[in-house]
Amino acid sequence: MIKSLPAPAGIAVAALSAAAVTFLLDLALLAPAALAIGVALAFAVPLLAVGSDAEDATTGIHRLLVTPIALVLSVLVALLAAIVLDLWLIEPVAYPVGAAAGGAVAVLLYRRLPTQLALAFGAVAAAGVLALGITALVLLATGVEVLHTFERMLNYGSQPNSVVQILNTGTTYYLSAVAVAIGFKMKLFNIGVDGQYRLAALLAAAVGGAFVLPPVLHQIVIITVAVAVGGFWAGIAGWLKVTRGVSEVISTIMLNAIATGVTAYLLNTNRLAVELGTNNIGTRPIAESGWVPGIPAGFMGATRPIFGLVLLAVAVGVGYWWMLNRTRFGFELRATGQSATAAQASGVNVKKMVVLSMVISGMVAGLVGMPQLLGSSHYYALDFPLGLGFTGIAIALLGRNHPVGIAAAALFWAFLDQSSQILDIDGIPKEIAVVTQATMVLTIVVVYELVHRWGRRYQQRQVGRELGREKVAAS
Amino acid sequence: MSTHPGDGAAPPAAVELHGITKRFPGVVANHDINIAVGAGTVHAIVGENGAGKSTLMKTLYGMHQPDEGTIAIAGSTVQLNSPSEAIKQGIGMVHQHFMLADNLTVLENVVLGAEHLHGIGAKARATITRLSAQYGLGVEPGRLMEDLGVGDRQRVEILKVLYRGARIIILDEPTAVLVPQEVDELFDNLRELKQEGLTVIFISHKLDEVLSVADDITVIRRGTTVATVDPANTTARELATLMVGGQLPVPELRESTVTDRVVLELADVTVESAQDRTVVDGVNLAIRAGEIVGIAGVEGNGQSELIEAVMGMRPAAKGRITLDGTDITGWQTRAIREAGVGYVPEDRHRHGLLLESPLWENRVLGHQTQRPNAKGPLIDRAGARADTQRIVEEFDVRTPGIDVQADALSGGNQQKLIVGREMSGSPKVVVAAHPTRGVDVGAQAAIWDHLRAARAQGLAVLLISADLDELIGMSDTLYVILRGRLVAEADPRSVTPEQLGSAMTGAGLDPRAANGNDAATENEAGA
Repeated sequence: MIKSLPAPAGIAVAALSAAAVTFLLDLALLAPAALAIGVALAFAVPLLAVGSDAEDATTGIHRLLVTPIALVLSVLVALLAAIVLDLWLIEPVAYPVGAAAGGAVAVLLYRRLPTQLALAFGAVAAAGVLALGITALVLLATGVEVLHTFERMLNYGSQPNSVVQILNTGTTYYLSAVAVAIGFKMKLFNIGVDGQYRLAALLAAAVGGAFVLPPVLHQIVIITVAVAVGGFWAGIAGWLKVTRGVSEVISTIMLNAIATGVTAYLLNTNRLAVELGTNNIGTRPIAESGWVPGIPAGFMGATRPIFGLVLLAVAVGVGYWWMLNRTRFGFELRATGQSATAAQASGVNVKKMVVLSMVISGMVAGLVGMPQLLGSSHYYALDFPLGLGFTGIAIALLGRNHPVGIAAAALFWAFLDQSSQILDIDGIPKEIAVVTQATMVLTIVVVYELVHRWGRRYQQRQVGRELGREKVAAS
Repeated sequence: MSTHPGDGAAPPAAVELHGITKRFPGVVANHDINIAVGAGTVHAIVGENGAGKSTLMKTLYGMHQPDEGTIAIAGSTVQLNSPSEAIKQGIGMVHQHFMLADNLTVLENVVLGAEHLHGIGAKARATITRLSAQYGLGVEPGRLMEDLGVGDRQRVEILKVLYRGARIIILDEPTAVLVPQEVDELFDNLRELKQEGLTVIFISHKLDEVLSVADDITVIRRGTTVATVDPANTTARELATLMVGGQLPVPELRESTVTDRVVLELADVTVESAQDRTVVDGVNLAIRAGEIVGIAGVEGNGQSELIEAVMGMRPAAKGRITLDGTDITGWQTRAIREAGVGYVPEDRHRHGLLLESPLWENRVLGHQTQRPNAKGPLIDRAGARADTQRIVEEFDVRTPGIDVQADALSGGNQQKLIVGREMSGSPKVVVAAHPTRGVDVGAQAAIWDHLRAARAQGLAVLLISADLDELIGMSDTLYVILRGRLVAEADPRSVTPEQLGSAMTGAGLDPRAANGNDAATENEAGA
């Protein structure tokens, strides 16, 4: 084994070889198969010529775990890249380029993937397989053909219009889950995202419909109102917790009920609502200056546009990550969540932290209704989507409160929602998607906890091993 | 073992530990432990903090398995894989920290987890009443736990163990939380248990107590048994010598570095508990630059509350705290820390560390507003990581890297990290509570060295410890705290641990310095 190749050279070699192999095999095989083989062969480059940077690179566990997971991940990355590129480029070009990306990722992952993270990926995969298995069992028990069902869902879910729908629903889910996750990081259970976003959307829609302002300013005003209302509504629960010791679980559930009542009261033609055709009343529609234009998705053959505010969700995700990992505030938030006593001793004002994180969680919750309001419906009516806050709780759990994990979970959830629509036509109960969603949440919570414990013990053993080595060296 | 209720032929020992060895990364565990505990005796196991007593008892209670050696109960070798197996063998343990639910009654606490024995109703109640009467514990099954005092709670813990059928009872530092009268009551209970034929294993490092209650005493030093002695033929001094041995580092200050500049001053500081009870009562104290002021006292006499008041974690009901001429009374903990007060908390897991965070984030904890950890509102990762590396090297924290989680380190290394962190950024004052508790001998010496070095550079230290040798050896000035009041001032150059111990129980130091609280406080008020 030669482990002398520097990393940049390794990346280049892997990328080129993956692309070349894929291009050649594409002539004989199906494109995805060619790509998988190409990336797998390119994976030999880091394995043989680059080596790993990890501290525990020589241990059996690293070889057993990190190597296969890095391999699977790089093939997946390559496949995704290729599928997306395929929308613009011709297949013989798209797939080799995708493979090149996969090859490069292979080297990076193999060098840098820490055992802990590899374990997390492994846990997700295991949970996914378990959840699919349980879903298959349920299907079998009800006498439905399993493979056929999955195939139908996969086909329908990957149609261009479905993809747009998944992205749009996923955007909403993502915002909701991030709102919940901010609370979770503090060990606060904001069950009230549901009430927060509904009240925020209603009031923001009412304000947006009442005035016509220049574009940009108009949207900013609407979103600001939503953020302020969401933050205020969640802040009530935070304030009650620190001043009166009311559990935020109870107060947010109660605030949900109150929000439902307030919304129903305000959504009346004597107050904020107007008639919007028969059997529907809602706020006065927002003038076009307040709309957020969609991103046309014609390039992939879809007729519907992607919500423009998908970019807002991305910004919120990046902001959430940055806040948690780079700012003092985020550090203190995580510290308080891990150990309130240690945080207090370190000088964190825990009460202030509780109120602040509740308010921030509510502010993000206020955004949940915005993609729908500004991108599609333009008014808040009786048919505005409900229950997004509760979905957000499940997705935050599924994504382990991690900004990227939540994104994957939100898209997966939205995929199941969308792809199950086809099943009704085939006479298969589409509630099967709900079974998958629920088992997925359960399995991932359990599997992840197991893996987490195991990972901790593993790290402790690593420390012990290191000390043992030192002692031998010293004596 | 003359105190056996002997019946002619020597019965097998109730518990016999032979050649027990237990290894952990980086800590003093146990090696080659040999102990025989006679049936119907009180057997004390003494040793300094970190000598390996608790590790040994955890082995005996099945909480972990020894790497080598055997455990025999009443003559037959057993394998104890879990506490429930230990209970089946008749071994029960009363932990130092009570494991009781405040909002349940005594009855409910006792039957919790042992419902299969006598149910949860009248039969269980009858059993508890019978056991309580038989062993003279005076426990009322109907009382709510939160209404009970510390001594009563401890008796409930003992009853819990008896209820589960234990014949061998391990008490881990049972007197640490008790006031002297409660200690006497506990010892009466123990004698009662002994008379009923039960075997008691009593862990302690308080020699006077051990001498008064034990039938046999085994001394553990640096993880191994050094001697088993008969209390009738030994003295506290001899025991202490056995405990510390010849090679242990002795905390000792060389020349005085005390200056005239008062850095931290407490004037008439009074702290009340949540129940409006006065827990710190009019404390007057002044610490000068380059001075270490020690406070001795039985745990639970207001030391923790005093420290929390200084750190701004608990409001002072009365009085004034001044740091370097600035009145910091009522300041937030953050502001007090930023003003240059370091804090080594007594419970590092609860107050000192984020156990599931990497070491470098633990370096940031408590100093998240200061360089090199932060730049304005942002965390300076590079700066914090580099400084963590420095602490790891300077303070000899044994770790493979700064990205491992804090809970992967041994207690001593965690403590070195905390001490290193709190000494960083040139603090004016360090409040150190039990800085070497549960820390191995090497780390202990290192921590003392660092405290000495910082003192020489003008640091003021408020030292609270249960280790009297540490207090006497490290302090320039030494006070005794009892029920929240500073009741005596001792001269660390001449006072003995025995004198200090008696002052801690309220018996007074000696005629010269035993003028009580008023003398001590008046002296200091003028300083």
